[in-house]
Order: sequence, then structure tokens, then C-alpha cells
Amino acid sequence: MNWFSWLSTFFSAPDRQHGPDSIVHRVGEHLLLSGEALGLAVLLAVPLGLLLGYTGRAAGLVTALTGAARALPTLGLVTLAVLVAGVGDSAVLVPLVALAAPVLLVAACEGVRSTDPDLRDAARGIGLTHPQVLRQVCVPWALPALLAGLRTAAVQVIATATVAAYVGLGGLGRYVVDGLATRDFPQTFGGALLVVLLAVATQLLFALLNRFALPAGLRRSRG
Amino acid sequence: MIRFDGAGKRHPDGTIAVEELDLTVPAGRTTVLVGPSGCGKTTLLRMVNRMVEPTSGRVLLDGTDVAQLEPAKLRRGIGYVIQQAGLFPHRRVLDNIATVPYLLGWDRKRARSRAMELLELVGLAPETAKRYPFQLSGGQQQRVGVARALAADPPLLLMDEPFSAVDPVVRAGLQEELLRLQAELNKTVLFVTHDIEEAVRLGDQIVVLREYGRIGQVADPATLLSAPADEQVAQFLGRDRGLRGLGLRPAAGIALLPAGQPHRGWTLTVDQDGRPTGWSGPGETVRQVTVYQPGLDTLRTALDSAVLSPARAAVAVDEDGRVLGLAAREAVLDALDAAGPQAVAAVAAAGDEIAGGGGRGR
Repeated sequence: MNWFSWLSTFFSAPDRQHGPDSIVHRVGEHLLLSGEALGLAVLLAVPLGLLLGYTGRAAGLVTALTGAARALPTLGLVTLAVLVAGVGDSAVLVPLVALAAPVLLVAACEGVRSTDPDLRDAARGIGLTHPQVLRQVCVPWALPALLAGLRTAAVQVIATATVAAYVGLGGLGRYVVDGLATRDFPQTFGGALLVVLLAVATQLLFALLNRFALPAGLRRSRG
Repeated sequence: MIRFDGAGKRHPDGTIAVEELDLTVPAGRTTVLVGPSGCGKTTLLRMVNRMVEPTSGRVLLDGTDVAQLEPAKLRRGIGYVIQQAGLFPHRRVLDNIATVPYLLGWDRKRARSRAMELLELVGLAPETAKRYPFQLSGGQQQRVGVARALAADPPLLLMDEPFSAVDPVVRAGLQEELLRLQAELNKTVLFVTHDIEEAVRLGDQIVVLREYGRIGQVADPATLLSAPADEQVAQFLGRDRGLRGLGLRPAAGIALLPAGQPHRGWTLTVDQDGRPTGWSGPGETVRQVTVYQPGLDTLRTALDSAVLSPARAAVAVDEDGRVLGLAAREAVLDALDAAGPQAVAAVAAAGDEIAGGGGRGR
């Protein structure tokens, strides 16, 4: 039953309320870092995925590459990035982007590739150019898949951004790492719990997006 | 006008889709390409809007080789309807119909008001405009597909088996609608189907294709049915083609007898407005009367009326259903003489078969 006492110790500490080690500040850092990583991954992977999915080229390659990329150990990448680039944001961004990008690449590629061939044919036949077909037909068609990919990537990045603390950066990982270093288990436990809560909240946010942000014709017809 | 000038298509692997075809599709009329699957009819249709590039010969649109036109621009000037409708699932019906006007740079208001016009033209209720495609039946989706093809008022319509995926009753409705639209709009229509009934119903000119896009026959429906070019075409046309050909001949020329006098012992009874109520014969009455309208119906309907009548006489009525007169079976058969000898032979045989065995087997 000392979980509860751990939690109350953690949450009632004055440091949690104000200053650089406060929960609000750490959550802010965590979200900022995750957001940066996710944003970069989207910029890198989504346009490429859409294009590869539309042309149908290298689809097998995409799947194989992403499979390999998923096997990369994040902590190892962080260490490598620190060795190469030194301590800094990029040391954490690189592995986080490497985590998110493959998920997004596959989602974009497969989402576009799954467009009903009759629909694509009709769109071409009534006079849409290739870029117009991609933008007006395939991208809307791929939206549910893209959103699902974004959700997976976001949850993974938020959970994994904890490693930033290993290379001296902020975020919720601070509590976990600092707690372990000082054998302050309430702090480790509290930090871990916050990471879980943040990941679950993200999951819920995307469920809402999926429900309300998709055009009705896509939601209903594609389950 | 479309002209196929030695147009052929050979796939990269060497298989031939269309060997080499010369064909003229006249402007303002409906030309139907009909043939078994794999005869290259869809390939030919898709050569016109460059969805397929011929590997030999040319396709000329009003004298211009389509290969010289920019594909997207060319296609925006041609209505295109396919079997699965191909509507954009994420767009409402109204915006689906307005797709080509949007592409052509019309402003939103003009495009949408045009789309509303078309919705009405193809027989859909105005409230359909706000629906999504998945909320429509197959037949309604096809109507939207036709409306979308007509939105920018193109002179030419390409229709690739547009009604094949809907059930027969809905299909008949859509065919009726297309005939009505075509009577009003006079587009150049190139229509592909594997269904000879549909071809006969819709076509002004029918092109029967064999494998590799070889032409079996080019003819108007009546000629096709009464005088197929050879055994193979006749076989494709199927049984009863003589009888079906009657469905293309007007029933206006049949000699009528006055309705008041008895015929073969049967008298037609009418109500006070002159509409037929039944047949009264020796010791029995028949309550059903099958009628035809001379100005509107065909010889097939007239023959049907004669065959179903206990008096062996067809009942001619005006558009209000009032009796104009009786047409004896012999008079109906005489009218067939104008329909060509083959039709007469086929119909006489079929007619005797149905009617000769003692009338309605009640």
C-alpha cells in the first residue's frame, strides 16, 4: 500500500508545484520534445509515403525498410547520436524521429495504395491530373490510415521521449532517471505514471479526432 | 464525331487487345459497342479519352488526333461514366456532380447551381444533394455518375457498362432515363455493353465486335435483328431475334376494325368513357384486356395484345385508354410484311406456337 504514500510524497513535494522541476514544466518539455520529433517525422515520412503509395513503386522496399527500422534499439541510437553529435536536442530527436517515421511512412504509403482502383480510374477519366488525383482522391482516402499511423507514432514517441533524460535533457524522464539515481522511488514511480497518463490521453485525443475530424463519407464507408 | 482510323492496341507482352479497327461514330447519336468479354470494346472506348493509348493507328475527335491533345484537358471535355460510378466517397453528391466544373475553374456558386440543375435532370430529389455516395442505392449512384458526366455540358459521352451492376428493374429505369435525356440533349454517345438487349434498346447504331476488336457488323438495331451479317452475329443476337425486332417497329400501320362488332364470337365491353373492361363471349367473360397504343407502341406490343385476346384481336386505345378499334391477328401479321421477310417468318412461327394452341389456357 505504499504506492499511495509514494504518490502523495511525489505530488505534494514543493518542487512539483513550482520551478523547473514542476510537473507542468516537465509535461511541457515532454510534449514539446515529442511534438518536435513527431512534426519532423511527419514532414519526412508522410510526403514520401504518399508519393511512394501513389506510384506503387518500392512498396515492398518500404515495408522491408520499416520492419528493419522498427528493430533499431532506441537507447542505442541515443548513445550513438550523443557520440556523433554531442549532447543536445538532436541526440534525442534522431532516435525519436527514427521511431515515428517508419510507422508514418507505412501508413501513408498503404493508405494511398489502398485507394479503390475504380475510383482512381474514374478520377483520371473525368480529367484530374496526377497531382489532383493524389490530393483530391487518394489523400482523403488515406486519411483514416494516416490518422491511425499518427496515433501509433505519437503514443510511441511520448512513451519513448523519456530517454531524453539519459542525455541530460528535460521531460518526464527526468523524474524517472533522477529518482533512480538518488533511489527516490516515489519520484521514479510518479514520473512513470505521468508518462503512462500522457500516452493514454494522447490515445484518447486521437480517438476523438478519428470520430469528429474525418469527413462523414470516409468514416462511414470504411468502418 | 469520332473516327477510329486503323486503331489497334497491343500490350507490352505481345497479346493483342484490338487488332486494327476502322469505325465512325456519328455525332449526336448513340453508338453501342457490344460483344463478349475480351472483345476489346472497353479498350476502344478508353482510346477516345486517352485512358488507353493505341499502339497503331489513330483516334480522331472531330478531325483532330486525340494524341495531340493534353489528356486531362481532353477528358474534361468528355463525359465519362463507368460501371462502379466511381464517385468520390468523401464528397457530397452536389460536389461530386460539380467536380468537372470545379476543375474547369468555375466559381463555386455557378458550379453548384449547375449541379442542382443536373440533379433534377437525372431524376434525383433535391435533398439528395447533401447526401454522401454511401447513402445512395446503386441506381442512384449511377444517376449521380451520369449527372457528373454531363455537368460541364460536353458534346461527347463515353459510357462503359454503366448499368451492368444494378438489378434488372433499376437498369430498365436507367435505360429509359438515358433515352429520355438523349432525346433532349442529342449528345454523341459511345456506349459499351455486353448485353445485346441493352444495345438494341439504346443504340442508334450498333457495332457487334468479336475477339480482337474485329467488327462483326455495324447496323441500326432493326437491321441487325432482321438481317445479321452471318451465323456468328446471329448466334450472338440469340433466340427470338425476329420477335424482338418487332419491338423496334411502330404499330401505327395496322388496319383497325370497329370495336363495337363481335369478333370470332367475342365482343369487347367498354365502360361509359369508352375504356375496355373485358371480353364477352359465348357463355363466358374474360375480364383482362391487354391493349396497345398505335402511336406509341410497337408491333411487338400489338402482337402481344392479339395473342392474349380470346378473340384473337389486338385492342387499340388512345392515350386516355379509350378504345380506337380492334386489330385482327391477321391484320397484325399483315403489318409485319413491312418489317421484312425474316421478321415475318420468325414471328409467324412464334405467334402460331403461342396463340395457335387454343388461346389463353385458363
